[in-house]
Amino acid sequence: MLNIKINDKSYQVEAGQTIMQAADKLGFHIPRLCYHPRLSIEGACRVCIVEVKGMRNYIASCAYPVSEGMEIFTNTAEIRQARRDIVELILNNHPQDCHTCERDGICELQRLTYAMGIRHRHFEGERKHYEKDISSTSVVRDPDKCILCGRCVRICSEVQKVNALGHAWRGFKTVVMPAYNMPFNESVCTTCGQCINVCPTAAFVEKSCAQDLFKKLDNSSLVKVAQIAPSVRAAIAEAFGFEAGSHCLEKELTAALRKLGFDYVFDTQFSADLTIMEEASEFLERLKGKGKLPMITSCSSAWMKCLEQFYQDLIPYVSTCKSPMSMLGSLVKTYFAQKIKRDPKEIVSVAIMCCTAKKYEAARKELYVDGAPAVDMVVTTREISWMIKSAGIDLMHIKPEEFDKPLGLSSGAGTIFGVTGGVMEAAIRTAYELYTGEPLIDIEINDLRGFKGIKEGKLEIDGKEIRVAVAHGLGNANELLEMVRKDKERFHFIEIMGCPGGCIGGGGQPYAGLNSLPLDESCLAARADALYNLDRHKTIRRSHNNPDIRRIYKEFLGKPLGEMSHKLLHTHYKPKEPKGIVPTEIQAR
Amino acid sequence: MVTPLELVKKKRAEAINRIISKGYLSSKRVYVGMATCEIAAGSKEVMEVFVNAIKKGLAGVYLSQKGCAGRCNLEPTVEVVEEGKIPIKYGKVTPQKAQGIIERHLKNGEVIKEWMIE
Amino acid sequence: MSRYVITLCHGSSCMQKDSQKLRQAFEKELEKKKLSEKVKINLSGCLGMCSHGPIVIINPRYTVYGKVTENDIPELIESHIIKKEPFKRLAIEEDHLFNRFYRVFGDVKFFGKQMRIVLRNCGIIDPENMDDYLSVRGYEALAKVLTKMNPEDVIREVKKSGLRGRGGAGFPTGIKWELTAKENSDEKFVICNADEGDPGAFMDRSTIEGDPHTVIEGMIIGGYAVSSNKGVVYIRAEYPLAIKRLEKAIADARKEGFLGEHILGSNFSFDIEIRLGAGAFVCGEETALIHSIEGSRGMPRPRPPYPSVSGLFGKPTLINNVETWANIPVIILDGADWFSSIGIAKSKGTKVFALAGKIANTGLVEVPMGTTLRQIIYDIGGGIPNNKKFKAIQTGGPSGGCLPEKFLDTKIDYESLVAAGSIMGSGGMIVMDEDSCMVNIAKFFLEFTQNESCGKCTPCREGTKRMLEILTRITKGEGVDEDIVNLKRLGTMIKKASLCGLGQSAPNPVLSTINNFMEEYVEHIKEKKCRAGCCQGLFAYAITEKCIGCGVCKKVCPVAAITGEPRSKHKIDKNKCIKCGLCVKACKFEAIKKA
Repeated sequence: MLNIKINDKSYQVEAGQTIMQAADKLGFHIPRLCYHPRLSIEGACRVCIVEVKGMRNYIASCAYPVSEGMEIFTNTAEIRQARRDIVELILNNHPQDCHTCERDGICELQRLTYAMGIRHRHFEGERKHYEKDISSTSVVRDPDKCILCGRCVRICSEVQKVNALGHAWRGFKTVVMPAYNMPFNESVCTTCGQCINVCPTAAFVEKSCAQDLFKKLDNSSLVKVAQIAPSVRAAIAEAFGFEAGSHCLEKELTAALRKLGFDYVFDTQFSADLTIMEEASEFLERLKGKGKLPMITSCSSAWMKCLEQFYQDLIPYVSTCKSPMSMLGSLVKTYFAQKIKRDPKEIVSVAIMCCTAKKYEAARKELYVDGAPAVDMVVTTREISWMIKSAGIDLMHIKPEEFDKPLGLSSGAGTIFGVTGGVMEAAIRTAYELYTGEPLIDIEINDLRGFKGIKEGKLEIDGKEIRVAVAHGLGNANELLEMVRKDKERFHFIEIMGCPGGCIGGGGQPYAGLNSLPLDESCLAARADALYNLDRHKTIRRSHNNPDIRRIYKEFLGKPLGEMSHKLLHTHYKPKEPKGIVPTEIQAR
Repeated sequence: MVTPLELVKKKRAEAINRIISKGYLSSKRVYVGMATCEIAAGSKEVMEVFVNAIKKGLAGVYLSQKGCAGRCNLEPTVEVVEEGKIPIKYGKVTPQKAQGIIERHLKNGEVIKEWMIE
Repeated sequence: MSRYVITLCHGSSCMQKDSQKLRQAFEKELEKKKLSEKVKINLSGCLGMCSHGPIVIINPRYTVYGKVTENDIPELIESHIIKKEPFKRLAIEEDHLFNRFYRVFGDVKFFGKQMRIVLRNCGIIDPENMDDYLSVRGYEALAKVLTKMNPEDVIREVKKSGLRGRGGAGFPTGIKWELTAKENSDEKFVICNADEGDPGAFMDRSTIEGDPHTVIEGMIIGGYAVSSNKGVVYIRAEYPLAIKRLEKAIADARKEGFLGEHILGSNFSFDIEIRLGAGAFVCGEETALIHSIEGSRGMPRPRPPYPSVSGLFGKPTLINNVETWANIPVIILDGADWFSSIGIAKSKGTKVFALAGKIANTGLVEVPMGTTLRQIIYDIGGGIPNNKKFKAIQTGGPSGGCLPEKFLDTKIDYESLVAAGSIMGSGGMIVMDEDSCMVNIAKFFLEFTQNESCGKCTPCREGTKRMLEILTRITKGEGVDEDIVNLKRLGTMIKKASLCGLGQSAPNPVLSTINNFMEEYVEHIKEKKCRAGCCQGLFAYAITEKCIGCGVCKKVCPVAAITGEPRSKHKIDKNKCIKCGLCVKACKFEAIKKA
């Protein structure tokens, strides 16, 4: 323990932490901007400066460790003015268009400006200007709004290990861009959208199609079909000002979508169950020697782009199953179109996703059904919550409604798809029973829950030891896949999700609330609990017990891995040479 | 066992012998400044004049390059060193002046005062 | 033409011991013996032999005489100059590494007040010939270390010498070494920072071009002291000759067994590689430099952890600049005691400066710490040319402060320069005369640092830009009253809040000129006047009565702003004039003046 003083009051604090960490625990909240608890210390914004007795200069409290006898001042007149001036300098090189900005009201810079009490400007001058990059299907980069906190660069390199972004030029001209200033769609960006999540302003936002969707919804000659991803319902209340995990708005969202103009609202959890039927069957085939082990899951679209670019040698190990979104989309344009006797061309298939990468997935030609996209439009949790607000729908007080048949009923296994480890847990629930003929008793597999970067588990199926592993976030995935590259025997089955926490931490989820930071672990945990609770309260918790799944196999698909499944529910991935800079550890190979 | 110190002293003795064998003990030693700044000021051309003169038979002269002593506005510089005499330093040497140094100083022993650095 | 040079040590210690009187005595004796023509008397700075003082050196022969009194002079002259024999009774044997320099250059006034330790071999040896370096006791310091000293001894010696980092910040070198040595690690690195970025500064280039082995030898000794086996020289790609010579020196040193496995048969192994920098000024900052070597963008990071704990590739790293390394062999061979006798209380040894600007003798100057700015400008630099008046001197490169006349007796050491409002920096020194506009100068330097800011931290990236905009306005005649307040407010904040040394020092030229030349700022803003006539927005050309109407100015004017009939006074249209100054140069009658 160390003795320190903050603003002339004595405290005892633990050694080995920064001034900011120590102050946080003592109830001080030193203003900050570039700091993010998940990322390395950048020390760039200089908003969190404090005075320390005996030091000539101000100290960035995020970076400087506490030491015995340290006397810290967080709120002197001098430091207040310096901090205020720093924020004004940031503001003076930022567009003055808050009212028309997509992050108006939920912008960290706005909040900080308010807190600093900047009532007029002393140092206005030239503002930088760069063109927006709208080339990507998923992420729009607006350098004018960038305040160079470097969070996007850090999350892309440290958490995701994709290294799609870097600083370029210098001084006042500094800008964050992909290598060689290539358009986003040609860069190594996996479209995961984590840069959007951590951006304090609107320098990164999703490529929105909400306005287009409004137009489609107005068109009465079209059949408007929606599907909702599991983790959207766990997080959407946050966009309406509620604490993470406090409300799980499944049926409310269904009702709201019908009010928005959708004719049918289906559940991606249904096709998650379907994915499990196919994937578990595929795994058992491979276990019997038909195909390569370990088998790696293929639900996460950011992970799929990452695979094609950086792990081409592992493509044969990846499951051929399409993602639940694409499976449901395929069924909407075939099975469902036949049921309602409509031309698939008259159906607009819309996916409400927690994800920006799904926009990229929807545009993939290899996932088209009969020459048309299986999913016509993908909107994120953020976009749909804006649409609901814009259309004047009271999501919080709406009368709950059920999903539509025949693609709306799901098991608890489909629900937990939204959390890291969930796909694996769901697959085990089914694979065990398919293989042994006996139901798995203890279906909540705690080894696979939680936010450890790489989780490992073991189970016995018919006397055979099956070793599984789960990674969330492409950085952790990288670590796990390096293990696989060295030792193919080590695991039998691997789940990979592109985003930290799995889909609940997706790049399309609501911005962080007033008192939390994006990707805060407590926020992710609350969203995860919401999904685990849904599962726990369901009577059907195993995918193969879903009666509608049984029906669709009977009526339409035949059997898992059958001819029809193969046509509609499976695909193949091909190597894609990335342009620009490839992470060095991959280049070396 | 030979200590590093003994080894270096031996190497130094050998080095000095090598330098002497190249004619270091000649009556006159000529040093031409050859740092980036000196080269930019034209010392390469000056060096060539001395090299050519030696090729054509100028004897008793030990020619060497050297780094920059720091006398920037008087570059290129050339020194003529004779044992027992104050070394003579010439500044702002051009190829023409170099030719003059060869003819007047090296061959005839005349110190050219007006070109000297004080 | 003098054939002998008597050098009198003019260091403060020798001065106390009556070297002043010695000079008169010498002059009298020489006159008596009718030798005045033949012998020249020169004054030197402290030669670091104070215990033997007063010191007298007579060239040629380079004999050092100690404890010389007035009474010894007749005998001394008789022996050395007339009989051509050294005067044995007073001759002292002390042979320092720097002595050779004075054998060649001892008689040049420019070098008189200097003290060549770092540059001791520059201009003396052939840098591309290893034999030359060996012949001046090259690598003897390394051999001494490997034979007689363990790493702790080396660190103790460096600490005792009082050497401080010559890159600018002045951190005690020995302590840095000790901190790096203390770390436990399977791998450690030694880095030589040769990323000399200050415009107009070229000390490091000259050192490497003139004496590359010294730097290498220093680095090997550093590696031995902190138990590292790998050295990296980070040098800017704009120095091709320095790189070439360094490459050759490294190859030669390897061949002779000074680098590589089992150096000189010892158990110590060390090798050096060269990494080229692309010329970003900020890469002189140690953490940015390390990032650059690692292959990342050269951006600084917050410290701690310091490189001594976590540096190159996360390993403990000892990083010193060229000049610091070049001091090491001298400290080892001549001893810390001798080294620390040069300089003053907290700053020991010498410092190299690149003297430039409005000064008669431009060039590299190495002086003992504690020398005053006045001595450098007038005794060494030869004063201001063209009978102009001295206005200011800027030390420390583009981020140093501009000091006016009243600071000329400031002693050069780390603390005094900071107290005066400037910095030691890596050693740029620019002299300005009355033709320099201080507002314009401040703008010029800020333009450089602003352009070279890495863009990482807000104060430096955004703040310097705003300061520059204000300064630009002022020089255009568009300044407003609150500009000075805002400049000070921003400058002070940027100094205290920036992430690295670049930002922390970037406002210095502005703040120091506001402090020392406030009246010029006020003139620019209130009277729209630039007394030096530099700021184009603040003057107009006008033709005076001296004009005879020859029409030359009319012909050279590129924008046809001058009108007038032949043989009558011409006129300049102020709205058309672009102030190029061509007419002023063309006029033979000095009839065109700034107004």
